[in-house]
Amino acid sequence: DSHVQYERVGADVTMKCGSMDWDAAVTWTANGTDIDESHLNGSYLILKNVGLSQSGQYFCYEGSSWHLKYQTNLRVGTPPKEPVLMCRSNNYPKGFYCSWHLPTPTYIPNFFNISVIHGTKDMVCEKDSPPKNRCHIKYLQLFSTVKYKVTLTVTNALGKNFTTLTFDEFAIVKPDPPESVVAKPVPNNPRRLEVSWQNPSSWPDPESFPLKFFLRYRPLILDQWQHVELSDGTSHTITDAYAGKEYIIQVAAKDSDIGTWSDWSVAVHATPWTEEPKHLTTEAQITETTSVSTSSFMAPPTTKICDKGAVVGSGAMAVCWTAGLVVAAYSVLFI
Amino acid sequence: MAAADSPSTALRRRDLCSRGIRLAGKMRADVVDLLDAYVEQQGLDASASVAAVEGVPLAAVERWDEQTGTQRLLENLAAYRAFRALLAQMLEEQREQLGEADAGLGRALAAVLLQVSAFAYHLEELLRLESRGIPGEEEDGPPPPPRLSRFEQKLRGLGVLRELAHWAVRSVRDLRQLAKPSPASGAAPGLAESP
Repeated sequence: DSHVQYERVGADVTMKCGSMDWDAAVTWTANGTDIDESHLNGSYLILKNVGLSQSGQYFCYEGSSWHLKYQTNLRVGTPPKEPVLMCRSNNYPKGFYCSWHLPTPTYIPNFFNISVIHGTKDMVCEKDSPPKNRCHIKYLQLFSTVKYKVTLTVTNALGKNFTTLTFDEFAIVKPDPPESVVAKPVPNNPRRLEVSWQNPSSWPDPESFPLKFFLRYRPLILDQWQHVELSDGTSHTITDAYAGKEYIIQVAAKDSDIGTWSDWSVAVHATPWTEEPKHLTTEAQITETTSVSTSSFMAPPTTKICDKGAVVGSGAMAVCWTAGLVVAAYSVLFI
Repeated sequence: MAAADSPSTALRRRDLCSRGIRLAGKMRADVVDLLDAYVEQQGLDASASVAAVEGVPLAAVERWDEQTGTQRLLENLAAYRAFRALLAQMLEEQREQLGEADAGLGRALAAVLLQVSAFAYHLEELLRLESRGIPGEEEDGPPPPPRLSRFEQKLRGLGVLRELAHWAVRSVRDLRQLAKPSPASGAAPGLAESP
């Protein structure tokens, strides 16, 4: 006869060779390899302190005839620990979903059962086929102050465990992040970036249940984020970007009235507009025909030296004046 | 069947809805603060379940999206009138028990009561705009509730404030629905209906 045998990690396991007597001559194999006689007590196979690596197919053969007398699929594992359960509504007001997992693997099959109660009413949680550790509940009522109680029980051959979550309808509302975030420079504006995004496609009715947004941005070279909260609209213009610096930008969403913020969107990168230095080529050509090289000091008419974004601090104005005097001095030399 | 809205009616409705949304939003924020203070000062467990109390209008609704505009307005009005009476009663009970520690709570209750009254009036304005008769308030009022113990009063108060907080959210959603123009008639959805 053949069957599956589940044993806990660390247990001592004794396998009998079917109906064979204790003193019968037998040979045991595990995963195709003969087992040493030191593990036998008569015809019984003794496995002490079993580990995961001892899972496998065990066969017992009668000594002289090699008739197969017993086989078993030994599965070494653990009883389930308390499962981790999460419930969230990313499609309010349609419903919510719950998903779960075990904090550590058991190495043997587990079975999950979920119950959802709203007041005294049992609700149906429809399971996804993939992934099977998630199920969906449709709201039958909105704006209820009665809490939902979700109990998840996990069972395997070695034991069972459970966890319970109790929550208010509003508390679990958390949209998915905004989608299609795009950041573009604004022509002729060295300190601006135009950011736009879309409502998450999972949010079913943004007109009746509008989202608000939180935008964060920083230049790659700095660690500190700037934040902007936007009560409506799906676009924003950053007006204080540092000229010429690459930025990283993300957006999050939240229902305007209830729940919590979404995770941050995928990050996008953008650099504000900078003028093409075409005139530098022209001036470089001019300076090459003279004996004085000033290319390191010459700046385009829309000089970045005087750009407030490029110069931080109270010395900005002094730097502008100084640069202007230097440029004027060299210009006089070439008249 | 109601006639299509005039532009001025549609504009007025949108304006009233916008202001109502702001009123309800502020009211909700104040009710949530009041709820926190109430739980703390009354020595209650914030997570305690409170059974539905007679006379407290429940915010919970089935098929909310299928409600007509008139239903929304009438249910909101009935609720806030009830809350007005309930909060007045809570204030009265609070004053009977007045101690220094509760004076702030009394003021917060009074402020919320004022907002509830203002919101109820705002709803009446919306109903007038829709040329709907405003249901009269019961002249005799509801029968006086049975005298409750101090603890029962506290629990009822908790139930009242919780429902009010949820009603404030529902009202914002209801007014947003009302503010939406109807594509065919220009009237708010659900308001262009047979009498």
